[in-house]
Amino acid sequence: MIPTHWFLILSAILFTIGVCGVLTRRNGITIFMSIELMVNAVNLTFLAYARQMHDTHGLIFVFFIMAIAAAEAAIGLAIFISLFHHRDTIDVDEANLMHW
Amino acid sequence: MPSNVAFDATDIVLSIVKIAVILGLWLNVTPIMVWVERRGSALIQDRPGPNRVGPFGLLQSFADALKFILKEDIIPAQAHKWLYTLAPTFGLIPALTTIAVVPWGRAFVIPEMHILGRTLFEGGRVFNPIIADVNAGILVIFALASLGVYGITIAGWSSSNKYSMFGAIRASAQMISYELSLTLAAVSVLLVAGSLRLTDVVAQQSDYYFVLFGFLKLPAWNIASPAMWLSFIIFFVSAFAETNRLPFDFAEAEAELVAGYHTEYSSMKFALFFMAEYMAMATMSAVITTLYLGGWDIPWYNEPATFFGFLLSFLAFMAKVSFLMFIFVWVRWTIPRLKYDILMRIGWKFFLPLAILNIVIVAAFIAGGWL
Amino acid sequence: MEYAIFFLFAAVAVIFALVVILHRNPVVGALSLVASFFALAVMYVLLEAPFLAALQVIVYAGAIMVLFLFVIMLLNLSHAPEPSTRPIQQFLGYTSSAAFLIGLIYYISKYAVTTSPTGVFQADARTIGIRMFEAYVFPFEMVSILLLAAIVGALYLSGRALPAASSSEVGK
Repeated sequence: MIPTHWFLILSAILFTIGVCGVLTRRNGITIFMSIELMVNAVNLTFLAYARQMHDTHGLIFVFFIMAIAAAEAAIGLAIFISLFHHRDTIDVDEANLMHW
Repeated sequence: MPSNVAFDATDIVLSIVKIAVILGLWLNVTPIMVWVERRGSALIQDRPGPNRVGPFGLLQSFADALKFILKEDIIPAQAHKWLYTLAPTFGLIPALTTIAVVPWGRAFVIPEMHILGRTLFEGGRVFNPIIADVNAGILVIFALASLGVYGITIAGWSSSNKYSMFGAIRASAQMISYELSLTLAAVSVLLVAGSLRLTDVVAQQSDYYFVLFGFLKLPAWNIASPAMWLSFIIFFVSAFAETNRLPFDFAEAEAELVAGYHTEYSSMKFALFFMAEYMAMATMSAVITTLYLGGWDIPWYNEPATFFGFLLSFLAFMAKVSFLMFIFVWVRWTIPRLKYDILMRIGWKFFLPLAILNIVIVAAFIAGGWL
Repeated sequence: MEYAIFFLFAAVAVIFALVVILHRNPVVGALSLVASFFALAVMYVLLEAPFLAALQVIVYAGAIMVLFLFVIMLLNLSHAPEPSTRPIQQFLGYTSSAAFLIGLIYYISKYAVTTSPTGVFQADARTIGIRMFEAYVFPFEMVSILLLAAIVGALYLSGRALPAASSSEVGK
């Protein structure tokens, strides 16, 4: 049985890759995918601790996170489509309409 | 569960044997089905069909395979080379892996065997003819089925051909839409079985509903259940859409899209798409058999837990799968192609509400104690 | 054996995650993310949650990433080259996330439990379902309302900009 801290380290690495993607990329959809990666890293932590503590609450949290990620993906991609049709790009630096 | 299963060398050998048997069968599905399809279409259209190579044209498929191998493998200049090459494999993987969770025979006790004074099998070891008896079997089927979209989408996109692209978008939209009704129809099966494990689903179906006068027994196959026929119809029709078969084969509608997502493919890459289609068909038939037709169960006969019983149940399973695959062929050459908007309308406005209604009906049956 | 599986799929997950953030072509990025999610599903099986592993593949690989792929293809993004961010932003992004990772690993190795859990943890569909509909009925209903709101919102947002025919596909 693999000890829990290995899963935590993997989760930390994946989360950091997600953070890095958000910080260094300009393509909106790539940034969005990096966010999904971070969400998944958090899911892994939840499951690792659920097994460690023999607690089903962690599993249910993962379940809810998945449902919300699905909703988030639908809305986020719709926003990007809308942005693309207004601005002809999904570069997040160009989305500055609410910028003063 | 990986951690609490004691695995020894014999188990690994048995697993390899199971994988080899199923893989061998499933790889041979394509040549056999191509022959059945061509002869079947000829039968339906009242013409002879291929009858020159071998008896009844049986060797025609092998001649075709040889032709595919010898053809030139073309990669379009504009294509994305890596994805273009990988796409056919993406299509093949879901069709081949889904079968791992489907039970294909009755479990039997391996008798003690001695060869040259060495004990080959100790007594009491049970051979369970399923590659992976996971406790979320039905979910694994749908998880892998949902990956089937990628092969088609990537093939269409990476060819950088607008007909391929249209075919890919149509196919994936269609598969996503019908996956919903497919999954919801299967929910009623797991409600009845009370388990996601497919061996439990089969075990529940090998029982009888009621016994009349001691001899008139109705097998508890899900298709024969009064509450389940609606679910069966939804699942069966959605299966046609999921495997991109006529009357739902918009991915490759010849009249509109040249050949759909595999327009640019040639040689063995094209053959892989062909194989993926037939293997997906076989896998879907195996899943329908397991969920609705009682799996390996032979009605009115209690298979003994020996090798003979296993063989009988395995033959019964294969017979049911073959019958369903023949229906796939039969339907293809009988029903014309629908229009694309009608297909989407049926999926979202008819099958989806019907599948949800079906879950309510089955739940009511179970709550009322009639099932 | 278990360690071999763990490290193999951990490497797969990390490498494909790196491809997601480093590759210029969003289609390749989306497919790498699918591979990464698939490797994570294997992790879930190792964590004795096969139910959630199947859900991971169904929801992420089968639904969300297909949506991403669809949008990338419909907007034809892979042909427009993405301008790179300013060098200072790149530098700060990489260094700060590296520092973040080092900090995380330091604290995990310092404070996280390093003992293996004892006993068998049963996390099948039945246990999860019972727990969900006993303690989490209200959040469950809220999530279903949220999903409905997301459907309506996505249809509204994408339907306004696109002609009717293609918006119906994006909304799904």
